[in-house]
Amino acid sequence: MGCSSSLPDRSAGRLSGLNNAENSGVPDAKNLRVKLVLLGDSGVGKSCIVLRFVRGQFDPTSKVVTVGASFLSQTIALQDSTTVKFEIWDTAGQERYAALAPLYYRGAGVAVIVYDITSPESFTKAQYWVKELQKHGSPDIVMALVGNKADLHENREVPVQDGIDYAEKNGMFFIETSAKTADNINQLFEEIAKRLPRPSSS
Amino acid sequence: METTHSLPFDSFLDKMRNPASLDLVRSIKSFIVSFSFNAGNPENDGKRIQDFFLTTEAAIRDHPLWAGSTDEEIDNALEGLEKYVMTKLHSRTFASSAEDIKMDREISEKICLLQTFLRPEHLDIPVVLQNEASWLLAEKELKKINAFKAPREKLLCIMNCCRVINNLLLNASISEDHVPGGADDFLPVLIYVTIKANPPQLHSNLKFIQLYRRQSKLISEAAYYHTNLVSAKSFIVDLNAKSLSIEETEFEESMQAARLVNRVPQITSPTIDKISTFGKQTDPGPSTEMHKRKTNINDHHIAILGSAGSNYPYMEAEAGELTVADVERLLGLYKDVVTKYNSLCNTVRHLSISKTTVSPASEGTNDLLRGRNGTSRDTDCKGD
Repeated sequence: MGCSSSLPDRSAGRLSGLNNAENSGVPDAKNLRVKLVLLGDSGVGKSCIVLRFVRGQFDPTSKVVTVGASFLSQTIALQDSTTVKFEIWDTAGQERYAALAPLYYRGAGVAVIVYDITSPESFTKAQYWVKELQKHGSPDIVMALVGNKADLHENREVPVQDGIDYAEKNGMFFIETSAKTADNINQLFEEIAKRLPRPSSS
Repeated sequence: METTHSLPFDSFLDKMRNPASLDLVRSIKSFIVSFSFNAGNPENDGKRIQDFFLTTEAAIRDHPLWAGSTDEEIDNALEGLEKYVMTKLHSRTFASSAEDIKMDREISEKICLLQTFLRPEHLDIPVVLQNEASWLLAEKELKKINAFKAPREKLLCIMNCCRVINNLLLNASISEDHVPGGADDFLPVLIYVTIKANPPQLHSNLKFIQLYRRQSKLISEAAYYHTNLVSAKSFIVDLNAKSLSIEETEFEESMQAARLVNRVPQITSPTIDKISTFGKQTDPGPSTEMHKRKTNINDHHIAILGSAGSNYPYMEAEAGELTVADVERLLGLYKDVVTKYNSLCNTVRHLSISKTTVSPASEGTNDLLRGRNGTSRDTDCKGD
């Protein structure tokens, strides 16, 4: 779709070659813009992670603007003085919508795949999304595996090591987060930002 | 996210009337003429028009008439350009292929069937999000889509619909303490609203926006909500019992029942044609054909309609003249009239829907733009 990340060589859109919109919103080597798609079972807290990330950044008390939205964007500044604007595309996690996912992850520079550490089913589902993206996603997509609800450790059913092992095997970044306590939320996005390929030439 | 200039299109037209823009006007007009002459090919058409937008953008940026203009002013000119070109080329580019027309019809027909029985529970929409008033507002925005010819304005109808839904989700999370579900909540509501609205030419509208909205504008939030409606369309096209929380037998039975109900207008439409031909006393050709079509439905009706010189032979009759033998014929006529009446109501209802959808276009561009640019959804809805 006409989403423009500043990542080079994204595969072209299906309907037409409408994909070279890099010059809009003036992203350059110092100001990246990237489409991030969120995948994972419903109820794992995908949108809570984003809300925590977006809200925590400027006004922790304000519910307005952000709550309830399934599209959010947030810019972060990195230490090397580059900024990254994440355009976050949430997807519906219910099984009946699984076939629609390609419409959303097409053209994405980042995929964040979320599961709930208290739900082995959601971990299985996360592995399904990883395979799906490996098969059909853009080859240079940056993938992150996220075990959410880390605050519920007494109910943990997916060992940390399982997440680490699986992510390592698939060349992904892994982190456990808690949207509730905000643990590791900013780290997640900062780590992703660091891993983004930089435009080599402009 | 949209700029709130009151009349960007008028200011674009003003500039175009300035003699200094003659070169631009010529280039735009010659593009439109040359484009109109070539046979349609959606893949190519999109590319050609997008390329033309880019070339003209470069020309405008370098043009003395826009010297010293801000990015916003340039952008307004480009929005004007898109609107002008796409309005001129609308009939050539919108729903221009037989496949698109077929697809639109199939989707709309399927939605008609679904409308008869689909409930929010079938999509597991939580009770706190079941808000008829909000849904109605969202549906209304979506139904306006054919009132506009420019891709930007069509896209805005989608955006407005999605904003209404987002407000609903926001309210539910604040007042009902509903845990925000993001897309898990959003998409099912959008699908439900789309089915309730049955927006005209859904497939063609989405494709038109995809191909002809300036590509630097179909990004970010706009692209996200466009994708969501594409997604809703795709869900509806593939929808079967497994897509819903419903028993397979119940789904099949409901679809079958809906088909029977929806068939009535199709069968009786030749009858409606016939009324007019009868009235004009033209040749009997059409009516014979109509009889043939009706034969397998109810021979009895035909006997009555055919034998009598008029459709309703009892119109002049007095109660005292009737015999018991007339009951059967009367009943047949009664059924025929009711069937026709129902199908007429249906048709009128459809007509009035498409009429309300189209009416804003006749109010002129100024009103359109004011409505479109308003950030408040209330303003948008009141006009309708």
